[in-house]
Amino acid sequence: MEAYRQEIIVGAVAIYMVFCVATGLWAMKRTKNSSDFFIAGRGLGPVVVSLALFSSTLSGFGFVGGPGLVYSIGVSSFWMIVISSTGYALGFFLVAKRIRMIADLRNCISLPDIVAARYNSETVRFLIAVTIVLGVMGYLATQILAMAVVMQAILSGTAMFSDIGLVTCVVMSSAVLIFYCVTGGIIASVYTDVVQGAIMMVAGTLILLTAMSVFDGGMAEATSIILADDSEAMMPFGAAGIMASLGWFFVFGLGLAGQPHLVTKMMMNRKISDNRSILPMSLFGYVMAALLWVSIGVIMRAAVIDGVIEPLALPDDAASLFLSIFANPLLAGIVFAGLFAAIMSTSDAFLNIGTAAIIHDIPKAIRGHSVQNELFWARVVTVLLAIVAASFALYSHFRDATLVAILGAFGWATFAASIFPVLAIGLNWKGATAMGAVTAIVAALLINFIVQLAGIVLPYGILGGLISFVVSLLLFIGISLITKPPELDADMEAVLDI
Amino acid sequence: MRNKLIVVIFFTVLAMAAILVAIGLADTVPNAAGVAHPEFNGMQAGGDGAARLQHIGGLSFAFQCLLLLLIVSLSALGVDEKKRSPELWAYMGGTLLFSLFVWWQMYSAHQAYLETGTTSYFMGFPVATAWQVYGTWLSAIPLILLYSLGFRKFIFTEEDEKQYEQLLVDLAEKAEQ
Repeated sequence: MEAYRQEIIVGAVAIYMVFCVATGLWAMKRTKNSSDFFIAGRGLGPVVVSLALFSSTLSGFGFVGGPGLVYSIGVSSFWMIVISSTGYALGFFLVAKRIRMIADLRNCISLPDIVAARYNSETVRFLIAVTIVLGVMGYLATQILAMAVVMQAILSGTAMFSDIGLVTCVVMSSAVLIFYCVTGGIIASVYTDVVQGAIMMVAGTLILLTAMSVFDGGMAEATSIILADDSEAMMPFGAAGIMASLGWFFVFGLGLAGQPHLVTKMMMNRKISDNRSILPMSLFGYVMAALLWVSIGVIMRAAVIDGVIEPLALPDDAASLFLSIFANPLLAGIVFAGLFAAIMSTSDAFLNIGTAAIIHDIPKAIRGHSVQNELFWARVVTVLLAIVAASFALYSHFRDATLVAILGAFGWATFAASIFPVLAIGLNWKGATAMGAVTAIVAALLINFIVQLAGIVLPYGILGGLISFVVSLLLFIGISLITKPPELDADMEAVLDI
Repeated sequence: MRNKLIVVIFFTVLAMAAILVAIGLADTVPNAAGVAHPEFNGMQAGGDGAARLQHIGGLSFAFQCLLLLLIVSLSALGVDEKKRSPELWAYMGGTLLFSLFVWWQMYSAHQAYLETGTTSYFMGFPVATAWQVYGTWLSAIPLILLYSLGFRKFIFTEEDEKQYEQLLVDLAEKAEQ
C-alpha cells in the first residue's frame, strides 16, 4: 500500500471532488428560490445543523493554519481551541433562539436582514453587509489559498504533476468550488458538511492515535522534547506570551457568536427546540476534529527539534507533511479528502453570505429593495466573488507566504468585533440602539484595518483584534445607555420578551 | 431601558480596557511576544518566562478573571430576565467559581514551574498546560449542560413556544388582511 501512497491520496481527493460536483447538481434541483439558496428554506434537522456548524467553524484555517501555528508558536494557539466550549455556549445562549425567531417572523435570509429588523435601521443593515463583504474577502482568500497549498503538496508528489504551480492549483480548486457553490448554494454546502463532519471526527481520532505512535513515549515524550528545547513554548501561554494567548481566548471565544457564516446556520434549523441538542452535538464534533490541530502541531514541532525530520520550509506545511510522512496512506487519503471538504464547505458558506450581502442587503439598504431575480444574480455574483478572492489569495501569497494563518485570524477578529455586540447583545437587550450599533461597527472596522494595514505591533503581543473588540463593546453599550431607548416594533418587542 | 446586568457587563469591559492600557504602558521585555527560534526557521521561542511576566503577571491574571466574569454575565444576559431566578444565579455563580479555580490552578502551576524548573505530566502535557487544555475546555461545560438540560426551564419554555407560535399566527392573519 505504501508504494501507492500518492495515488491513494490523489484518488481520495478526486473522489471527494466528484462527490462535490454531484452534490451540487443534486442540490440544484432542490434550490428553487433565494431562500433555498441562502438559508436552505429553514428546514434542516438537528444532526445536519450540528455537523454544518462545527465543520464550518473548523475550516482550512483549522487544518492548515492551526497545526502550522502550533509548530510556530507552540501552545499559544491552543487557546483558540480550548475556548470552543465557551464560544459555542455563548453563541447558543445569546443568538440561536432569537435569530431563528426573527428569521421566521420577518422572512429573513441573511444576517443583515436580522439586524435591520432588530434596529429598524437600514444603516445598520448596510454596515453589517459591508463588514461581511470585507471580512469574506480575507476569509475566502485564506480558504482558497489553503486549498491550493494542500493540492500542490499532494499533486507534486506524483510523477505527472511534479512541477505543478500554485496558480494552477488555485484555478483547479476554485473551479470545483465555484461549480458546486453556484449550482447547489447552501443546500450543497450543508450536505457536504455532513459528510465532512463525519470524516473529520473519525480522522481526528485516528490522527491522534497516529501522532501518539510517532514517539515511543507518546504525546508526553513529544511535549517533553519541546519543553526541554524552550519551556515557554510548551507552557500554557506558549511562545507568543500571555497577552496574545488571552487575546485569542477573548476574540475566539466571544467572537464565535459574531461569525456570520456560523450564526446564519442558526437560522436554518426546522425547530427552535432542536437547539438544545444541536449545541452539545456541535461541540462534540468540534472537539473530536480539533484533535488533529493539536496533535499534528505538537508532533511536528517535536519531530523537527528531535531531528526526526528536517525543519519545515513553512509552518503551514505541518499538516500535509505529517500526513505524507507519518500517516497510513489510506488514512492520509481520507484526511486529505476531509481537509478539502472542510475548506470547501467553509468557502461555500462565505461565498454564500458574501453574495447575499452584495445582491440582497446592500441594494436593500440603498434602494429599499433587493435586485430582481435574486437567484440568477446570486449565481453570477458567487462566480465573481470567488474569482476576486482567488486573485487576492495569490497576490497575498506571493507578498507574504505565512498569510494563510494571519488572514484567517484577521477575518475572525473583524467579524467578532463588528458583529458580536450588535447581534449577540442587541438580541438580548432592548436598550441597544441603532446609534450604538453604528458607532461600534465603524470603530471596530477602523481599528482592525488600521492596526493590520499599518502593521502596528502592540506591546506584549496584544492583538489589534482584541483592542477593537473591547472598544466596540464599550462604545456599543455606552452609547446605547446614553441615547434614547428605541421604539421597538410590536413583534420585535414580543421576541425580545421570550 | 436599563438593566443592572448590562451595567455590570459595561463596567467589566471598562475594567478590562483599563488593564489593557496599563499593560500597554508597562515596561516591556525583549521576548514579550516571542522571539525567532535560534535554530529552526519558522519557529518562535518564548525564552525567559519569568521575565515575560515580571511587569504584567498580576495585570494579566486580573484580565482573565474579568474575562471569565464577562463570559458568565453574557450567558446570563442570554436568559430572559423573567427566568433569571436565584437558582439560575447560584448555578452561574458556581460556574464562575469553577472557571476561576481552573484559571488559578493553571497560572499557579506555571509559576511553580518557573520557580522550580520541574513539572509532572498529566495525560500527555505538563501539568500547567494540562489545566489549560482540559480544564479550560471543561470549565464551560456547566454552561452547555444548563442550556441543554435546562432548555425548557430557562431558555425556551413550553409557554414561550406557545407564545411564539401565536405570534406567527397573528402575523399570518395580519398579512392575509
